[in-house]
Amino acid sequence: MALTGEATAPAATATGRARRPRLRLWVAGVVIVSALGMLLVQGLGNATLYFRNADEAVAQRDELGDRRFRLQGTVVGGSVREVADGVAFTIEYAGVSVDVLHRGDPPELFQPDIPVVLEGSFAGERFESDRMMVKHTSDYREEHPDRVDGDYGPAGADAPGA
Amino acid sequence: MTTLRDETTRTGARPVPASTGTAATRVLGGVTLLALGVLLYLAFVASPAAGPSQGFDAVRFMYVHVPSAWLAYLSFAVCALCSALYLWRRTRSRFWDLLAGASAEVGTLFIALTLVTGSIWGRITWGVYWTWDARLTTTAVLFVMFLGYLAVRRVALDVEVRSRRAAVVGIIAFLNVPIVHNSVQWWRTLHQEPTVLRTDLSPQIEGLMLYTLLFGVLTFTLLYAWLVVHRFRVAWLEDRLEAAGLGRAIAERRAEAGLDEDPAVEGVPAPAGPAPDPSGPAGRTTPEVTAP
Repeated sequence: MALTGEATAPAATATGRARRPRLRLWVAGVVIVSALGMLLVQGLGNATLYFRNADEAVAQRDELGDRRFRLQGTVVGGSVREVADGVAFTIEYAGVSVDVLHRGDPPELFQPDIPVVLEGSFAGERFESDRMMVKHTSDYREEHPDRVDGDYGPAGADAPGA
Repeated sequence: MTTLRDETTRTGARPVPASTGTAATRVLGGVTLLALGVLLYLAFVASPAAGPSQGFDAVRFMYVHVPSAWLAYLSFAVCALCSALYLWRRTRSRFWDLLAGASAEVGTLFIALTLVTGSIWGRITWGVYWTWDARLTTTAVLFVMFLGYLAVRRVALDVEVRSRRAAVVGIIAFLNVPIVHNSVQWWRTLHQEPTVLRTDLSPQIEGLMLYTLLFGVLTFTLLYAWLVVHRFRVAWLEDRLEAAGLGRAIAERRAEAGLDEDPAVEGVPAPAGPAPDPSGPAGRTTPEVTAP
């Protein structure tokens, strides 16, 4: 509508003058909104696959190659070993386990039987990570000192520093 | 709030109020302060630490992080509702526009607080300050969107046009709120899933932790109400001042240009002679709006 107005009366009439900045604003608005939209879709597209669970990663190991991705799984109790430049342990998800070598200091809350997200890539059978995030659950229970051993599984014995 | 509305629309008849506080808001402010004190006690002393998988004392971040996030949602909902009421011709008034702006401003403050407390809490429990998962990304987008909304409110434009555009932006930006809230269920995230606002209606939190959280929400609601009332009143006074200054400036320019078509702009009388000094503080003078 505004376009035809522009074409027939180029900047001569008062309405033409009033419409041109408005049209420009609309164009700018559409460009900004579509750029934001693309950014959102792109960003969320990546975020949709924020991590691969251990079983999926193992199934896709060939196509993943040495590509960098995020891997999620629960730290298997009794598997944590301190090595020279980090920690080695096994994670498990849906019955599939992956051996992990993490370089660097693990987060403070790193402990057996807790789900972790690791950033890194496969090196053969093993997953080598350099960024670890502890995924805490939505379950908030009060801390009962007498319950720690019973409720948190074999954590006590394997916890770092224990 | 309606009393304020009646008072200020008749600014000419009554003196401009010297303060945005009234007896009611002082009581509200006192109760809010008291609630904040009780919340501090509940959060740091009375409520217990969580288990080792939740980082023990780190759980106390929840009593600020979650209420500020929820109140940001509420602020943006109020902003969208007021924006819709402004856009609808039958209810269009400066009141809704200014209330939308006040609510969005407080909401932006709350969402910033959410991001900051979440980031620190994340460093303790996750081990990182930030990661681009769906919850964090959509929340950051929400924050930026409302910064944009606040920017639109300050664009130098005709007040009506600006308010209409701001209202549209406010409604669009609010559409992100349900996306933020559901992001942890729609996509895989590092951020946890809901603890309280769950679809199965069984909060995964017990005892004093739950009550402290709910008390935090109550406290932040009081704080929100107090902040919005005052922010709205300041905005309303600014708006009156601006309208009076603008009306006068228009009348002056018109007189300067020799145009005398309808010089009475919103009750502001056109100055008699030529404009005295164009660089004069037209916008700063106290409104001397006289009822016709």
